Amino acid sequence: MLYKISVPQVADVEEIRVLEWHREVGEAVEPGDLLVELETHKAIVEVRAGQKGYLRKILADAGNWQAIGLPLAVLSESESDAVPDDAQALTDLPVDFEIT
Amino acid sequence: MSSEPAPAMQKMFFREAIARAAREEMRDNPDILILGQDVGRFGGSYREFDGLFEEFGADRVRDMPVAEAAMVGVGVGAAAAGLRPLVSITYMDFMMLGFDPLINYGAKLRYKTGGQLTAPVVVKTTAGAKGQGVAHSQCIEAWLMSVPGLKVVAAATPADAYGLLKTALRSDGPVVYVDHKRLFPVAGEVPVEPVAIPFGSAKICRPGSDLTITTHSFMVRTALEAAKLLEKDGLSAEVIDLRSLAPLDMKTIVNSVARTGRLLTLEEGQITTGVGAEVVTRVIEHLGPIQFTRVGPLPAPISSNRILEAACLPDANRVANAARLLQSPKKLVSSY
Amino acid sequence: MTDQSPIAKLRTMKLIRAFEEALAARPDHGFQLISSGEEAVAVGLCSALRPQDQLLTGGRSIGPAIARGVDPGRLMAELLGRSSGTNKGKGGRGHLSDPASGFFGAHAVVGGNISIAAGVALALQMTGKDAVAVILFGDGAFGAGALHESLNIAAAMKLPLLFVCNNNQLSVSTPRSSALAPARLSDLGAAFGIPACTVDGMDLDAVSAAISSALEHVRAGMGPAFVECISHRFASHSTTARETRSREELAEIKTFCPIVKQTGQLKVAGLLDDASEQELERSVAGMVEAALKFADASEMPRAEEAMQDVI
Repeated sequence: MLYKISVPQVADVEEIRVLEWHREVGEAVEPGDLLVELETHKAIVEVRAGQKGYLRKILADAGNWQAIGLPLAVLSESESDAVPDDAQALTDLPVDFEIT
Repeated sequence: MSSEPAPAMQKMFFREAIARAAREEMRDNPDILILGQDVGRFGGSYREFDGLFEEFGADRVRDMPVAEAAMVGVGVGAAAAGLRPLVSITYMDFMMLGFDPLINYGAKLRYKTGGQLTAPVVVKTTAGAKGQGVAHSQCIEAWLMSVPGLKVVAAATPADAYGLLKTALRSDGPVVYVDHKRLFPVAGEVPVEPVAIPFGSAKICRPGSDLTITTHSFMVRTALEAAKLLEKDGLSAEVIDLRSLAPLDMKTIVNSVARTGRLLTLEEGQITTGVGAEVVTRVIEHLGPIQFTRVGPLPAPISSNRILEAACLPDANRVANAARLLQSPKKLVSSY
Repeated sequence: MTDQSPIAKLRTMKLIRAFEEALAARPDHGFQLISSGEEAVAVGLCSALRPQDQLLTGGRSIGPAIARGVDPGRLMAELLGRSSGTNKGKGGRGHLSDPASGFFGAHAVVGGNISIAAGVALALQMTGKDAVAVILFGDGAFGAGALHESLNIAAAMKLPLLFVCNNNQLSVSTPRSSALAPARLSDLGAAFGIPACTVDGMDLDAVSAAISSALEHVRAGMGPAFVECISHRFASHSTTARETRSREELAEIKTFCPIVKQTGQLKVAGLLDDASEQELERSVAGMVEAALKFADASEMPRAEEAMQDVI
């Protein structure tokens, strides 16, 4: 099963800048792991995985921008699932996000 | 015609553009200091001064008590005596407290002293309605446009926030620099090369042929949304971002209306004696009678109540409707 | 004012009196605020200032400007609207300005120059200048928020600012006791933790001493200080304002004349006699005449100058 992480729906935010990825492509991800830090006009958003998986593809590197709701990365339950070109159709991975 | 490479750009938040301009100018000129509430370690209510306290210290980035009248006076007086203060007024509504030192002293200083003194002070303030209630929502820049000796500018994009603030901090008289609560979430491309934007220069941010929309600050975004709606009806709207309210760039405005024949002015401040009233009058003085309409909020205080606030403020639909009405050749369009 | 000798100070007080009387006698005197009776405040204050210090005042500016050393000719020209005046004829009494002489300027808005003076003090502090700013205001400005806000800011930031309140006990027609809660205006200093005192503003030496003492504190970088001078003005608030006091009251008030007092003291001390007093009068009359002559020989501004120095 493939998932995407999208930019969380933070109130009063239109787009974010990706600050730093804390997991690399190919790495395993556990629930609670910090995946990526995003910067809004006000604060920093920490996005943490809500379930296990593998980080398969990063769609917005550090320094890049992405709009609210659009995909940031693709994850899969198993290491070897084929990664599609278009991530928009994928199910959202449950995530916890915290605004710091 | 030689083709020049497009200038390198960097995307940043509106607040980062402000901080960048302030930082560059403060590095360049040790006379610049910032006075305001929550500007120091806190970095400004919108983080628009992030990093400046750390770099320049408490002497040059000073937290002041809530006392806008004296704070503006201190800024104006320090400017008269040779410094270049930026006085930050978090809510434009509270600029009113500082009107006496800014207008009665600062704006008149060069004149009343026969040229001996001048007050190069920037009063930076955030205007606009965003759910904070009747005394925390106003856009009163039109009140300041008529003050001899005072310059007034309002950026609608991060690039202009950056370029106009650089010019403001280099001006030799008082400048009111107006930004907007709803612009802070906006990100945009800003030239990497440090370049200041001169005052008195409007920008055609969307070329068009059927009507001219002049506007400023957050309403530029509303106008662009309206222009997209009008495009579906086959109407081509030219949107001009005024950027500079005093002085106004009448050349750009007049050239546009001469081409399109119709003028719609849009502002978030009241249209009675508003920015639009002045633009329309001057355009008619140049071109003779034209079809025009002024769009603005309802003549009511802007409540924090989200239903009532939305009822008061112009939105893309209202602007588009007003533009469509303007196309009827014989009808006079009344704003109320 | 460079010569601080007692005779020089007396001369300056007499000059202020004679200058203002000559001005008020002109048919074209315009809207003026005369400071007769308050000369000791202006001279006592200015005699303690150094060339680099900057003095700001309210609208009763002529006496302080003369005391600070503004050229009487250019001053008279400004008051009579001539383009050879300190402000090119554009400011008048309410906005007299000669920063080169240490008279940063008058401002006609009651209390309006107080926070400006705090800003000037901030600039002096930040540029490390060995100089102070002084704001001279009346009891009429004491109720203004600007004073209280500026005291707070000046005290918190330890600005090199001296607050001098010339309490002539009347704000146009309103006695101090009707308008202001504190009986002793210098009590306000304690609220902000700054040294403050009240002195007899009709006594030149008392004013000089209090100002000098306060300035020591300010010059040492210890923050602002506050001096209240109790005085009497002999004329009405302005050349258009009706007098509110009775003839008897005025007669009594005039017995406190600071010039008469100082003259008496110098004579007792053997520093002045009738002959030298007359010499002083002649000298002062000559200076006033020269000032009037300079002003009368000067042009009014041309109409086109209305649009110069606007922005």
